[in-house]
Amino acid sequence: MTVIEAKGALERTRTPSPPHRARRRAGNRADQLFLLPAVLFAAVTVVYPLVYSVLQAFQDVGLREVIRGGAEWVGFANFADQFGRAEFWQALWLSLVYTVGTVVLTYVGGLALALLFVREFAGRNVMRALLMLAWILPTVVGANVWRWLLDGSYGLLNAVLRGLGLIDGDLFWLGQPGPALVSVIVATAWSFAPFAMILMVAGLQGVPAMLYEAARIDGASAWQQFRHVTLPALRPVSVTVMLLIFIFAFKTFDTIYLMTRGGPGGATLTLPLYAFQEAFEFRRYDTAAVATTVMLLVPLVLSIFYFRSLRREEAA
Amino acid sequence: MRTVVRASLVAAAAVLAAAGCASGGGTGGGEPSEPLSVWQFYGDESMPTGKPFYDLVARYEQQSGTDVDIRFIPYDDFNRTLTQAAAAGDGPGIALISAFDTAAMADAGVIQDLSAQVQDWGQQGAYFPTNWESTQADGKTYGIPHLADAYAVYYNTAMVQQAPTTWTEMESTAAALSGEGRSGLAVSGIEGAEGATGLAIRMLAAGAQPTEIDSPGGHAALESLRRMVQSGALSEGFLTWNEEDAKNQFATGQAAMMINSATYVNILREENPDLQWSVAVLPSEATGQTMLSAENLTIGATSDDTDRAWDLITFMQRPEELQVYLPERNKLPARSDVPGTAEDPVRAVFAQQLQQAWAPDAALAPHTTEVLTALQAALQQTISGTPAPDAARAAQATIDEALGTS
Repeated sequence: MTVIEAKGALERTRTPSPPHRARRRAGNRADQLFLLPAVLFAAVTVVYPLVYSVLQAFQDVGLREVIRGGAEWVGFANFADQFGRAEFWQALWLSLVYTVGTVVLTYVGGLALALLFVREFAGRNVMRALLMLAWILPTVVGANVWRWLLDGSYGLLNAVLRGLGLIDGDLFWLGQPGPALVSVIVATAWSFAPFAMILMVAGLQGVPAMLYEAARIDGASAWQQFRHVTLPALRPVSVTVMLLIFIFAFKTFDTIYLMTRGGPGGATLTLPLYAFQEAFEFRRYDTAAVATTVMLLVPLVLSIFYFRSLRREEAA
Repeated sequence: MRTVVRASLVAAAAVLAAAGCASGGGTGGGEPSEPLSVWQFYGDESMPTGKPFYDLVARYEQQSGTDVDIRFIPYDDFNRTLTQAAAAGDGPGIALISAFDTAAMADAGVIQDLSAQVQDWGQQGAYFPTNWESTQADGKTYGIPHLADAYAVYYNTAMVQQAPTTWTEMESTAAALSGEGRSGLAVSGIEGAEGATGLAIRMLAAGAQPTEIDSPGGHAALESLRRMVQSGALSEGFLTWNEEDAKNQFATGQAAMMINSATYVNILREENPDLQWSVAVLPSEATGQTMLSAENLTIGATSDDTDRAWDLITFMQRPEELQVYLPERNKLPARSDVPGTAEDPVRAVFAQQLQQAWAPDAALAPHTTEVLTALQAALQQTISGTPAPDAARAAQATIDEALGTS
């Protein structure tokens, strides 16, 4: 703001008289005090639980230690224990499969919806509002809707498949490992896709019309326009969408817990459910903290990688 | 300067407001004028599983003039909330907890030692030994049994004349009743501890303890349930059913029989008045034992309102109050001197079944969830095609590690 001021004014700002300086210092202190509630709030609700959780990963913590304190410091022993367990790696692997599956499905679904809704057509706003319900609905409602849809005895999906003559008898989608994993991925992508759509509609609206015009003059087909104009122009938005969905999906607990509780046979026991089971069912708070620490690190590393690449891109 | 002072006051007010908002949780009722807090996981006042508890407490309030604040916390969140509150020094006056969690909560210091009060009270001899045992830890008493529950066989009398009395009969009868979208038997098999009850009952019948899945009895139980799925006697979907789902299968005629607790007696009577059904004790083999399901009344370790809490607990255990409360709650007494239990023929069957109840001992109790979760995993693997001995061996390794016996 001071750049557009007159030179003399700038000089006055840079070398204020002592009474002015004192007033500014007092003003700064006042500003900082106004920030204090927000800083305290963040410290209490974010920093403290985070540090507390990470510290638990380095201690021997059961129910007794949570209540009475006195947890013994064990260094990396909990990490060594967990990294030596097939169950832990299985949970991490399932988390990655679930997350990548959700990101791909959400991105494709969101992009398809964005391409549809960026055009003008009758009933567009109503349809878009209806689609947004999937994002707005409480997870408990969405997950139970999917449980009902996929129910082997009464589910709508089986009724349709039976009607088409594609299956005979009951098919329990959530009772078999492979279908259960696919089901929770589809249900999660269904709820995230409208959010991705909104971001990508904004991205599509920012693509200059003249690029398409030039492509058409050059004889580009609709697919070529999409491939060589739309997708490159959407790249920054696409990366943001994928990163956000990755972070949302990687920490998702409620949808999976409500649909399968991590089953059948641990087929959908992702890292958040594994941590929950360790802490609140088996009362092993220390090994649960190892899982949550890993859960923290994976998106963190991904975010750092993303922001670095963003900076490189901006610099170029 | 005035600006700084004003900003400081605003900031301080905001912090105080935030602190004030945060301190409104369950209190042990430090001041006698404050309501006595009771935490429970049965349900809220509008739910059939919660209302009888509220009515029972209301009778106490009316009689004693004491204000009681009941807080309903869903079961899945209950232990976590209780633990966090205890760690923050803000636990409830009374906590209604699972009988199997009592020893672990006592060891952690979440609940108070009630040995002195129990000694003065002198009614411990009235309780069934299996129930009373669940209140003990390190030779001290940490709770009073609130009620008990057992599993039995519900059967649709329009389809089944007489319930099977052995597991061989159960397999053949359930298979004969299956077909046309209906299964012979419904039982919960969902992921986690809840879904292991059917297998644990089958293991007990085969002569195996729930901690002994890799044993002839454990293998026999797994193979029995797999045979039932293969014959259609038990729907493969049972691996996705909780106890409520199993009840729905039975209530809608999709299952001719179900193994479930007494919780659903009144619900079936009220919601499905046309359904013709009855109840029989579990099929027997080496034994016909049920898993015990029970809750204990405890006093929070941080409560300084122990006298009022103890007064309410003893009120709730008066036989004449239990006589009114238990039928409404679909549960059974944990003590032998409650009149009226045998008057209702259905409740009488559950009471009879309760005579053959299995409960984990003090060493196993804190690990019950882990053991049952391992059993359910073995069940799921067996149904998916893994040979029963292989599934049992993997589960046994988990159980042994949990119990420190590996």
